[in-house]
Amino acid sequence: MAKPMLSAAKLLLMIVLAAIALLPIVWMAFGSFRAHEEIFKYASDMDWRTIFPVEWTLDNYRAIFSDETKPFGRFIANTLLVAVPVTVLSLIFNSLAAFAFAKLRFRFKKTIFAFFLSALVIPGEVTLVPSYLLMSDFGWIDQYAALIVPAVVSVFGVFLLVQFFSDIPRDLLEAGRMDGASWLRVYRSVVLPAAVPAIVTLAVITFLGQWDAYLWPLVVLNDQNKMMLQVAIATFSNLQVTEWGRILAADTVSSLPILVLFLFVQRYYVQGIAMSGIKG
Amino acid sequence: MRRNRGAGGAGRYAFRLQEERAAYAFIFPAVACLLLFTFYPMIDAVVVSFKDFNLINPQADFVGFGNYKELFADRAFWDSLLHSFHFAIVVIPAQTAIALGLALLVRRSTRLSGLFRTVYFLPVVIAVGVASTVFRLLYNQDVGLFNALLKLLGLPQVSFLSDPGVAMYGVMILGMWKSAGFFMIIFLAGLNNIPKTIYEAAEVDGASRPRMFFHITLPLLRRTLAFVVVITTMDAIKISGPVFILTNGGPAGSTTTATYFIVQEAFDQMRMGYASAAAMVLFAIVLAISVLQMRAFRTDVEY
Repeated sequence: MAKPMLSAAKLLLMIVLAAIALLPIVWMAFGSFRAHEEIFKYASDMDWRTIFPVEWTLDNYRAIFSDETKPFGRFIANTLLVAVPVTVLSLIFNSLAAFAFAKLRFRFKKTIFAFFLSALVIPGEVTLVPSYLLMSDFGWIDQYAALIVPAVVSVFGVFLLVQFFSDIPRDLLEAGRMDGASWLRVYRSVVLPAAVPAIVTLAVITFLGQWDAYLWPLVVLNDQNKMMLQVAIATFSNLQVTEWGRILAADTVSSLPILVLFLFVQRYYVQGIAMSGIKG
Repeated sequence: MRRNRGAGGAGRYAFRLQEERAAYAFIFPAVACLLLFTFYPMIDAVVVSFKDFNLINPQADFVGFGNYKELFADRAFWDSLLHSFHFAIVVIPAQTAIALGLALLVRRSTRLSGLFRTVYFLPVVIAVGVASTVFRLLYNQDVGLFNALLKLLGLPQVSFLSDPGVAMYGVMILGMWKSAGFFMIIFLAGLNNIPKTIYEAAEVDGASRPRMFFHITLPLLRRTLAFVVVITTMDAIKISGPVFILTNGGPAGSTTTATYFIVQEAFDQMRMGYASAAAMVLFAIVLAISVLQMRAFRTDVEY
């Protein structure tokens, strides 16, 4: 008799928690379709109109995409211009290194790998100043190179792929070698196809990380026209505090592709995170 | 026969040598990047922290422990560390408990659980800039949704971002809203590793649900718990992103965290040597705490 009561209470708790998780996202999405005045009109007393639009409008979207002083479309393009190369290059370099660490035999492997992993304890916040100085020495301030090149290698990414690759039997690789294929061929035709889920996982994590980047782009880019998405959104909120609808439209536009991408690849993404916890 | 063996050995040797060469070529880009973009800046951070370094005057002089001495006397720096600790000390237990609770709720692999899992995870994929700007509006004192909700529940209104005594809690709520789902997934992975037979045996013995939780689940989750606590601690002490957008360190400096302090000193005051000294202190603290935590969890495991 206590059992159904308990599971009903559990379900209720789950629904309340889901509402907490969703409320800001839902409010953001609906708010982006409302006129500025309408948001305020129903804001102080809670009823359905506090969250749902009474009169739908696309004005906020029109405004953010047509504002030439803050070209929102350009900020999205900028972010893709950085995020796509980082994702592609990081997959290549990290998977090559991970393959060597996981499967190949070479001297000092353990030492080099330990040294490699030790970088995990160095937080980016601590090296922020010297990294900035290094970019400045390279002449990369206000250049996308400052965002792309240092992001190409990820210790976490290599670590993650090593876990996946270590399950591939070495016999399979040596068979390829006996057929006269080079190690690079073996990597391309044996290792990569066997590790597609791992590669997708890392690709999604890397891409989301770039989409999410805030502090580093804020520091190394001053040029308004090169601004990254999150930095742009933050300035939206600082300068146009009165234009709530536009802020929410910008937020919604920048979240939508990510949410859709996530729903498609969620299995891989979640698996990657879980993996980092189990063996880590 | 001897020659044969020699030839075979040479062949194998060439094979090994090729493998080694390939391996070094494969790891070279990664290792080179790491040396250049992580280890070199780390060493440089130490060097710069002993210099009177600013962007306007690149010919910086060594000032010995000058930066550190000034830092230890700087009230604003201590306050920023205190704010980071305040954030960490609330968020570490609260967020870990919430994440574990969420994981336990959606543990069973039914369709419904899967749906809730996705929902709980959604805030994690919302970018920091987006989440911070949305919460900034939600927190609004007069027309924010949170105050409307409080009003509905008959609770007093809260000025989430303009009251120095409250603003940090505003940052904490945002931080936990965004991260709890991430750690839920890690707990779920840990929970899945616990063999079902243990629970079945306990059930046969007539153990109650809470008993099973405290005597089976929690002890067997210790490694996962250690991982979650260490990662949460590191993230919490370094918290900065939401602070920049939500509160700008204010009101009255009440949400100026250590990382925020470092960025301000380096890029607003242009005092890079001073900022690097602060970064070194922060690094030492983060490292010491994670070593202590790992020790604490390890001694537990041994007993």
